[in-house]
Amino acid sequence: MDRALARRLEARFGTMLAGRARQRHDETEIRIAASDVPEVLRALHDEPEFGFELLADLAGVDTGEVMQVVYHLWSATSPDWLRVIADGLPREAPRAPSVTFLWKGAEWLEREAFDMFGITFEGNRDLRRIFMPPDYTSFPLRKDFYLADDAARSPGAGVRHMERTHEPTNTPDDERLRRVRA
Amino acid sequence: MKTDTRHASADDPRVFLDEQVGIFEQIPPYPPQTEREAEFYTLRDGEMFINIGPHHPSTHGVLRVIMKIDGENVVDLDPVLGYLHRGVEKLCENADFHHTIAYMDPLEYVASLFCEWPAVMAYEKLLDVEVPRRAEYVRVLTGELNRISSHALAMGFHALDLGGLTPILYSFIERDEIVELLASITGQRMLFNYYRIGGVNGDLNHDFMSRLGTWMSRAATHIEANTGLLNENEIFVRRNRGLGAMDSQTALRMCWTGPNLRATGVPFDIRRAHPYSVYPELDFDVPTRSEGDALARYLIRIDEIKQSLRIIDQCLHEMPDGPITAKLPRLLRPRPGRAFASVEGPRGEYAIYAVSDGTDQPFRFRIHDPSFLHLQSFNLLMEGRLIADWMAINASLDPIMGGVDK
Repeated sequence: MDRALARRLEARFGTMLAGRARQRHDETEIRIAASDVPEVLRALHDEPEFGFELLADLAGVDTGEVMQVVYHLWSATSPDWLRVIADGLPREAPRAPSVTFLWKGAEWLEREAFDMFGITFEGNRDLRRIFMPPDYTSFPLRKDFYLADDAARSPGAGVRHMERTHEPTNTPDDERLRRVRA
Repeated sequence: MKTDTRHASADDPRVFLDEQVGIFEQIPPYPPQTEREAEFYTLRDGEMFINIGPHHPSTHGVLRVIMKIDGENVVDLDPVLGYLHRGVEKLCENADFHHTIAYMDPLEYVASLFCEWPAVMAYEKLLDVEVPRRAEYVRVLTGELNRISSHALAMGFHALDLGGLTPILYSFIERDEIVELLASITGQRMLFNYYRIGGVNGDLNHDFMSRLGTWMSRAATHIEANTGLLNENEIFVRRNRGLGAMDSQTALRMCWTGPNLRATGVPFDIRRAHPYSVYPELDFDVPTRSEGDALARYLIRIDEIKQSLRIIDQCLHEMPDGPITAKLPRLLRPRPGRAFASVEGPRGEYAIYAVSDGTDQPFRFRIHDPSFLHLQSFNLLMEGRLIADWMAINASLDPIMGGVDK
């Protein structure tokens, strides 16, 4: 854990962060609003005290309540992976700014997140489906998209009736989602 | 009423049809969705489209590339992915933690240990498990063996795509021996399914150790002899030199990793840049080259094979005794949290981002594959090149479509 990085991040971005920087193992995590993504990532990329020049991953996440875009960054100035979570995208119309102005290579990563979650990245010049066919209408990795059969069910979950697996899990009182939010 | 919208037939101007039917189907058969797509699918004078793949021997799988050509020159190209899409991420989110490891192998079917590795590493972080040192050494040993077999195959296929039929046969001699070695401890020749959460599946056995000793004693000289086939082949060298050159800043902006990035001069190797497992204790160099062209990408793989042999040698000398798995319950329920694990594979950075919600299945399972990002750069590498150069550039990038399409 790189404590100094957490302090530097909190000092630099201050009120833009939602909560303090979290750390576990070799990862440092900050949460920001989607609208702050260009400013924060540009600062992380350009400012020599951070120097996060390598985008290690870009992933969409559906928590069942909100959508997130998760960036993993690498820098020579820190032994940690930096995880930047753009949090709180509404599930009905998730929109996030594109980071292709910093990493041109994020174009396909954002296309993938669009294809799987329906997250619209503003500023991406080529936001169309990449794995699924162009006339496909669903977003397969969303939590309200169910697999057609029970074949992949875990034995630990026990045998479930087919109808049970098709019940929506994103109801507000759902135990599973409450634990993710924590 | 519909008479106004009828179209003249291309075959017979006296015949009118309800729908416009051309000799060729419109590409794409729907209105363009983005400005990039509209720009690509607009032909200027003298330009035409040509389709390569998805079933073409030089596409290393089922990659389809639509090329916009002017004569023999490639103006622009548009890779079409998804022919191998199985939805592995979704399958893993509906599977037990242990089951997901088996889903990892077919993503990276040439060096499958490197896709299992980040998955088990991410789970170990979620579970706060300490892996026994012997297990870490076994992982490094088998991983580096797998890296050599993958690089050997990449070199052979590079020559094969350029019309050299012999080197692949010599590559397969080395690869076959390594695959047999790994099969003697994992039981599989291709999709090993060997790493476990907290360790590995089986210990090294006598068969493995004796064959590895024999192979190591002649591996360096064999590989030297094999590479002589290509390094001193004037056709191969002259065809690849300067082809598909990439500079280091653009490579970083295109999110390149692995040998392809190091061939542009950036010494980024996750084994050194963000050490994991027992790599900090091992002595090896990170070879780089400055040219960034197809030849550099080929040569850097040879340098990496030599470094992998060094690592294997050290592993064999420093292999500690002890258990090969941590003690874990059969049913895993990590406490809610997030973990990111990344390893240096033969093609670049393989990474897994796993989110746990406290159940026995990952809530979110994100697979990051390096080949996906390398394929994205075709436009930059192919600028002003001929169609036949695409085969060489694609082979030098060494993509594996299993991971690209997930």
